[in-house]
Amino acid sequence: MSEYLYVGKSIPRTIETDKVTGRAIYIDDLKRPGMLYGKILYSKYAHAKIKNIDKSKAEKLPGVRAILTGYDIPDVRVGFIKDQTVLKRDVVRQFRDEVAAVAAISPEIAEEALDLIKVEYEELPAVFDPVEAMKEGAPLVHEVDARGRPLKSNLLPLPWKFYAGDIETGRKASAYTVKDSVSTTWVNQCCMGPSGCVAEFDMNNNLTLYDQTNVIHLGKQRIMEYFAQIGLKGKKVRVVNTIVGGSFGTKLDTDIYEFICMQLALKTRKPVKILFSREEEFFALPPRQPAIFDIEQGCDKEGRLTFRKCEAILDNGAYTSWGATTPSVMMMPMSSLYRVPNVSFEATCVYTNNIYCQAMRGYGNPQASFAVETSMDTLAEEAGIDPAEFRLINRNQSGDETPQRLKITSCGMEECINSVKEKLDWDKKKKDKKKARGVGMASLIHVAGGARVYMSDGHGIMIKVDQNGWIDVFESGTDQGQGSPTVISQIVAEALGFKPEDVSLTMGDTGLSLWDAGTHASRHTFMAGNAAIRCCEKVKKQILDMAVQYMPKLIKGGFKRKKRKDPDFVEPDLDYSLISNPENLDIKDRMVFPRSDPDHPYFKMDVREIVRSGLHVGVGDSRVVVAEEFYDPPTEMLDREMKGNLSMTYAFGTTGVEVEVDEETGEITILKLIAAHDVGKAINPTLLLGQVYGAVYTGVGYGLTEEIKVVNGRVMNPSFRDYKMLTAKDVIPITPVVIEPGDEDGPFGAKGIGEPGLVPTAPAIANAIYDAIGVRITDLPITPEKILTALNNKQ
Amino acid sequence: MIDYDYRKPQSLKEVFSLFKEYGPKATMIAGGTDVMVKIRNTKKAPEVLISLRGLKDLRYIRKNNGYHIGALTTHRMLEQSDLVKTELSALHDGASEVGSVQIRNVATVGGNICNAAPSADTSGPLLALDATVVLEGPEGRRSVPIADFFTGTYRTVRKADEVLVEFRIPPEMEGFGSAYWKHSRRKAMELPLLGISVALKLSENKEISDARISLTVAAPTPIRAYKAEEFLKGKPLDDDVLREAGKIASSRDCCSLRDSLRCAAWYREKIIQVFVPRMARLAAERIRN
Amino acid sequence: MKKVSVSFTLNGDPVTSEVPITWSLLKTLREYFELNGAKKGCGVGECGACTVIVDGDAVSSCLYPIPEIEGRSVTTIEGIASADGALHPLQKSFLENNGVQCGYCTSGMIMSAKSLLDQNPDPTEDEIRTSISGNFCRCTGYIQIVEAIGMAAKESDRKELLNFP
Repeated sequence: MSEYLYVGKSIPRTIETDKVTGRAIYIDDLKRPGMLYGKILYSKYAHAKIKNIDKSKAEKLPGVRAILTGYDIPDVRVGFIKDQTVLKRDVVRQFRDEVAAVAAISPEIAEEALDLIKVEYEELPAVFDPVEAMKEGAPLVHEVDARGRPLKSNLLPLPWKFYAGDIETGRKASAYTVKDSVSTTWVNQCCMGPSGCVAEFDMNNNLTLYDQTNVIHLGKQRIMEYFAQIGLKGKKVRVVNTIVGGSFGTKLDTDIYEFICMQLALKTRKPVKILFSREEEFFALPPRQPAIFDIEQGCDKEGRLTFRKCEAILDNGAYTSWGATTPSVMMMPMSSLYRVPNVSFEATCVYTNNIYCQAMRGYGNPQASFAVETSMDTLAEEAGIDPAEFRLINRNQSGDETPQRLKITSCGMEECINSVKEKLDWDKKKKDKKKARGVGMASLIHVAGGARVYMSDGHGIMIKVDQNGWIDVFESGTDQGQGSPTVISQIVAEALGFKPEDVSLTMGDTGLSLWDAGTHASRHTFMAGNAAIRCCEKVKKQILDMAVQYMPKLIKGGFKRKKRKDPDFVEPDLDYSLISNPENLDIKDRMVFPRSDPDHPYFKMDVREIVRSGLHVGVGDSRVVVAEEFYDPPTEMLDREMKGNLSMTYAFGTTGVEVEVDEETGEITILKLIAAHDVGKAINPTLLLGQVYGAVYTGVGYGLTEEIKVVNGRVMNPSFRDYKMLTAKDVIPITPVVIEPGDEDGPFGAKGIGEPGLVPTAPAIANAIYDAIGVRITDLPITPEKILTALNNKQ
Repeated sequence: MIDYDYRKPQSLKEVFSLFKEYGPKATMIAGGTDVMVKIRNTKKAPEVLISLRGLKDLRYIRKNNGYHIGALTTHRMLEQSDLVKTELSALHDGASEVGSVQIRNVATVGGNICNAAPSADTSGPLLALDATVVLEGPEGRRSVPIADFFTGTYRTVRKADEVLVEFRIPPEMEGFGSAYWKHSRRKAMELPLLGISVALKLSENKEISDARISLTVAAPTPIRAYKAEEFLKGKPLDDDVLREAGKIASSRDCCSLRDSLRCAAWYREKIIQVFVPRMARLAAERIRN
Repeated sequence: MKKVSVSFTLNGDPVTSEVPITWSLLKTLREYFELNGAKKGCGVGECGACTVIVDGDAVSSCLYPIPEIEGRSVTTIEGIASADGALHPLQKSFLENNGVQCGYCTSGMIMSAKSLLDQNPDPTEDEIRTSISGNFCRCTGYIQIVEAIGMAAKESDRKELLNFP
């Protein structure tokens, strides 16, 4: 596709030079006049009654401006199912429960004040295991629901159920069946930039929230909902992001600390900043949702899948954020990863006094794919079919409609599996097995063309061109580091016919954008890109309308000037009809030209000359060049049966791994990792690789080293020293394979890539380990201890 | 709130007089990577920090009838020293793997040993290299074999007003090859789950003429596995012998392994059994003739 | 709270600051000198986001007691571009090779790399990885960072790498 000037090229991130010069302003760096610092006091028990809170000593500490407890603010419920309040009254249900908050003139004074607040607790029996919590007689984490109705059990009123076809029919058609139990645990997103925000009210109680959220518009609505219940109905909210130090799912909800920050700002009438310490990032930030899966699959004699049945139990922790919605995404791999006719998936979320969870890159897909891809391997073995061959037999294909009614359009799965096979030398390695070495693979399906989880899945964009030919793009999304400013500027430059360096972008500001559902579900490039292309068509038309009006004048004016200088100059006889119709003109690389004669010596003109002449020229003749577009794709909401084509297109990929196991220590060395991804089209290949590399590294950590150790509700390893995120010395030899089948609905054929890189990594590693030493570890992370124990048990 | 005074004496004499003045209110600080972290994590600080960084003449690596390493030598200096790499290899291994380059650039080996964390990376190697700790106090100098220096977790025989000034490694160690294995879950920014140091000397017929094995995170203090060392003396360097030595080193005769959140005792035991042989072989390879 | 006055060289300029004696070099850089590049990613020397160069060595400025900076030379990310605004080869290569994504680790990462290249202008991949082993990054998986550092080493001669304070 070398017909493109900028799309498909690895344009450097020059637009983000501030990040390499120390000038980029993150929330840490933001200062507002008179700003105070907020700190939160957390619970000392996993489950206890609050008997008394004495803040008298803390209030007297010089420099303290406000101390709030749950008894000082309206007891309003927030969150996905409104099961928690901002500051806790009467009961604490987990170690990170927010019991009080302080605003002071320095963070040190605020922290000192926390130590002076005396809270009396009466400990209550707690439950830390979801299976235990489901049993009768287990301590109730919540006594009443959001409406005050008494609760009888710890089960969340969110019974996730998905059925397609008939499992019994599938069983009867099976020549082979397998049953597996797998589990995944809590892992932390590990954003390098800590969480935080600055809340500032004006004199009329309108709020500006300097934030780091992925969902500026939905977040704004949530805040306005909250306002309506705390006496601020009708007050305006503006959410403005600073530069964000990573998100990976941490910034899709409006978190408790954000509400606390607003309350402190309201009380003190000053801007208040809350900034998490690294310790808080580990124990007070909701991590990835853990899950326990029981999965059963069957296939016929030819190896075609006949059914897939799975039950999942999710430890919901004490309150509910997006963790409890991960089953809605799990349904996608459960129903649609590979062709499987009969599907049953049920997920139960259970309250415990553990930490609660939110989104993390992949949003349930990594967990579910670990279950599915473990089962695929055990079933392949049962059926006596090579695991790669087994996957090829059941591969998704273009034109499929899956049991979830997902319409598969572009699909590179076959190519992904085959390129993994080739680059791993799969057949040879399977035949000539070396001791303690093995290969394994796993694939993925993920939404890649938006995701209609809300009624609107749109993205609104405004594009303006000024009289210098500079383009201002008002984008409704947010950037967490993936490189959207560069990618979108490439798309705009290509679509409009300018250069990427002509483009400036604003993102992450509700006051400077239309609306977007949020930067999640790997949807941003697809949605903003499509909106931009459509918007550019409108902008281009305005420019070309101007061109038709002004080009002849400019050309003839030029001839006049030449004649004045040189009386012998003869004005050439030109066919001005070539430039009399905007439909016959186009713009490329800043040059306007007639389509029928792109290199015409006189009719090829710098577009900047045209806009300079065409804007602001006089009474009744002045104009601006601007257009807007709200792109809401023709997808479906999931119906009552959780079925519907919620995305315009889907990403596919396969990860293949070769491992070597040290059978004495249980340690795993990854010899080779192939990450093959169907991305539709790579708008910026280098930036795309960055997404794959980062996601793979996180996936390897998920598979081998990372876990939040929660003991009796308490996070025991809240530091980088004890939470094993990988370093630069932990080399993972990654070979990326970028497959570009194009996509008829994506901007220049592009599909989403933000999350796919992570999804199949852990199961591919687990499968490779099984191939190497014949033991299958079914709970993540796969530590050396688990390997040694399994090897021992094998003997 | 954290509050302390910070003094920068330029000589040992000044250090002692400051200690006389402040007594138990004062704590010494060298590179600061242990002391500052402790202050941040506990939110408590002594009233006075007495910095040793001004004692510039305590920063050296010399060979002169044995090896002499000034206590204020940074881990980075040890990492970049050819002498340490070739002749005190275990110490080079340990020093090179402390934390990160940023930490190694300021953290001193004296500070690391005085902090006496059970998981320090230089204590095992120094133990296996038969080091002597030289302390200087207002009453004068004294030497303590490093095997007697540690009395418990984070506890040593150093008096509060004594400064650790030098490590001495006997000249006999030149005939040994040595190696240190730091067992951890990732390859940087780690404390060891287990540390194993082996120093070996071979006779002309390739028998083990002398051996030192030290273990860290295998007991409240870094320890020598004397029984395993005894077993090795006079034996050939072969797999069965080394495996047996590893078994002895991992047994109750030599160490007291603990379950902790970071690692279970049984795994630590396994690691000792696996790496005593591996480090013995590496140590043997590094013997210089 | 006692205050201390320290004089040192900051990005080539002689400076003096008077700050509380308990302040770290990081806090002094950010709050006294308003140089926001070095970041407090953890505050206990475990992440590398606060890395700056002191007398040629990469250090964690969050653990560096401010009294110790007296008489020394400090370089931060704000001081490595040339006086006329030309980016340092590392700043260029990080932008060109996507070595920067969210950018939070970037200041520390580049300073660790610069310290390496100043002392060793032709490093191996292993030496590069060791030099940044104390700098965590969640976005990149380190690969494009390692490549960028290699690119800066290859494409510049020693003068260019060192020609900036």
